[in-house]
Amino acid sequence: MNRDINVKKVRLNCFRQSKVPGVFMLQMRVPGGTVAAKYLTYVQHIAETWGDGSFHFGTRQTFDIPGIQYDDIPAVNEYLETYIREVDSEMCGADMNTVAHEPHPWDPKSGYPTIGARNITGCIGNYHCICGNINTFELARKIESIIFPSHYHIKINISGCPNDCNKAHMCDFGIIGTSKIDYHPERCLGCARCVEQCEHAATRVLSLNEATGKIEKDPCCCVGCAECARVCPASAWTRREKPLYKVILGGRTGRQTPRAGKMFLNWASEDVILGVLKNWQKFSAWVMDYKPEYLHGGHLIDRAGYKKFKEIILEGVELNPECLVAEDIFWHETEYRSNFNVKPLSMHHTAGPKA
Amino acid sequence: MSYILNTQQADKVLGALAEKYGVYAPKRFVNQGRYSATDSIRYDKVSSASEIVWQVKSDYPAKEVINPIQQAIFYFTEDEYRASKAKEQPVLIFARPCDINAQKIQAKILAGNGGFTDMYYERMRERVKFILMDCNGGDDTCFCVSMGSNTVDESDYAAAVKFSDQGMEVKVIDPELEPFFAGCDTCGFTPEFVKENELKVTVPDLSDKEVRLALKKHPMWQEFNSRCVSCGACTVACSTCTCFTTRDVIYGENPEVGERRRVTASCQIAGFDQMAGQREFRSTAGDRMRFKVLHKFHDYKARFGDRHMCVGCGRCTHRCPELISISATVNKVNAAVEEIKASMGKA
Repeated sequence: MNRDINVKKVRLNCFRQSKVPGVFMLQMRVPGGTVAAKYLTYVQHIAETWGDGSFHFGTRQTFDIPGIQYDDIPAVNEYLETYIREVDSEMCGADMNTVAHEPHPWDPKSGYPTIGARNITGCIGNYHCICGNINTFELARKIESIIFPSHYHIKINISGCPNDCNKAHMCDFGIIGTSKIDYHPERCLGCARCVEQCEHAATRVLSLNEATGKIEKDPCCCVGCAECARVCPASAWTRREKPLYKVILGGRTGRQTPRAGKMFLNWASEDVILGVLKNWQKFSAWVMDYKPEYLHGGHLIDRAGYKKFKEIILEGVELNPECLVAEDIFWHETEYRSNFNVKPLSMHHTAGPKA
Repeated sequence: MSYILNTQQADKVLGALAEKYGVYAPKRFVNQGRYSATDSIRYDKVSSASEIVWQVKSDYPAKEVINPIQQAIFYFTEDEYRASKAKEQPVLIFARPCDINAQKIQAKILAGNGGFTDMYYERMRERVKFILMDCNGGDDTCFCVSMGSNTVDESDYAAAVKFSDQGMEVKVIDPELEPFFAGCDTCGFTPEFVKENELKVTVPDLSDKEVRLALKKHPMWQEFNSRCVSCGACTVACSTCTCFTTRDVIYGENPEVGERRRVTASCQIAGFDQMAGQREFRSTAGDRMRFKVLHKFHDYKARFGDRHMCVGCGRCTHRCPELISISATVNKVNAAVEEIKASMGKA
């Protein structure tokens, strides 16, 4: 096979290069990892018509269809129109005629306009799970229209509770659903079931005061999982009406410096999360001198420094009263090569607009 | 006399009643359910009809109004004590037949049992009048008909109410309530009772002592050692459970100044039956489950004679986090009893 193919252009269109020249894998976005089951027929149709008949669950919860010939990409894209329109445009409200909120007319027959901001992943959340504090895919759908279409690369994982099954700790911007809990001592039996559960499954912040028969709490270390509310036989612990969120920043995998994210925001409201993400393009553009590269968000924070990130990302965001912000973040990286960051000055990356 | 009220009139009447009475009814507590984005429905003071949840059964029973989860019973200083003061305000409780029948059972246990009347129960119960809520059939955990608690007598309630999206129909029995409805349109409403539940429960005959002793040892109870987490949610949600413990709360550094409270206790929670020397009669979840089931479906009736303790409200099933169904459990008891009787040649 001898074909002149601009693989970067094809990748931007959400078709990934394979080992076999001229053969690609389509990645369909599934914001929050949940769509109507009827779309599985689209997956089947594409796989059986243009692919190799198989389908892979993408690690970022995309529908991945391998074995697509380069020449079939236009036909696949034409078929994808309904899926992209219904899922991204109609369900999530993404403006397909923009890229990074700048006007950019979309040809509906041309497939995805960009791969930039990656598919937002989510656990099933409180749509189903007895531990979940939030509806993960409803939040993902709200975020999708903020970060997509955009060439700037950000990976967002949403977990319904601090158990973090969906690994908010291992992506650029991890969101964890939490609840602030109210205690109703008049309903408390003093059975200490919550104390046991907090010790067993969370941060050991509850204790039984033997003198009063009531529960005491160290609110500072509460992770907001709401396990106390789940196990209380008498509803003496209850969630507040609106959930709040933690943001875990700058986690990543990779060949160089993988690391778990650290907490950037605690007890943030949904408005704060959406407000911060609205500043993401601005921050990315500033760091990269307005030229998106194949580089995900965590690296941009490294280049700009956390304090610069914080300054840009919080611009114009009104924090809810409970919201706490990390003054500084010190990540702990796995350095596969010791002193990885020590190198000639000429090899250092810089951030910000070039003069 | 019976009246028909639209929603505005109903709110107005409830508002007027709430000025004279403490009016309690099932109310929705948004997002306060066990799981996130679920509500809790429990009894609380109301002052309008629109606050009352009538469409579905409450998660917690009406008993909470009369027998709160906790209350101060007396205050003490060194060598003196003073009982907590009784409140004066009369109380109206909106309740379905199961909850009203449950109070007859609670009264048996707390007022007159063994010749002793519980002052705290009695002084509260005296202030209470029930407003019967028409039960629209409950849900698939209800089996009031099987337990004979689907109906009440006219002497059991001061008024009967049937709510709808348009308002409410009321039959006033107690003349004291008549003036609140003056000027409202009259109608021919009389309350109706559920005649049949989807769920039917047959209570086994346990009159034979040998059968009872064999049932106690039957392996069926072992299932609960791994299933039941002994949280006590079933007994807190139970319309009839009365058990409580007392707890002294010391106000400060002087251990002789404080108050004694009574706090709901549960036979399902480990330690309930602990005695001196850490001796426990029922040390496993299966033992505790057996005690509860036999108490509700045999022991109470054996002592008081008139009826079983369970009113079939189904709240224990509804609230169990491990999805243990009381009706399925009673059916398992039935099967075990049949097996035991057959093996003893008593079938």
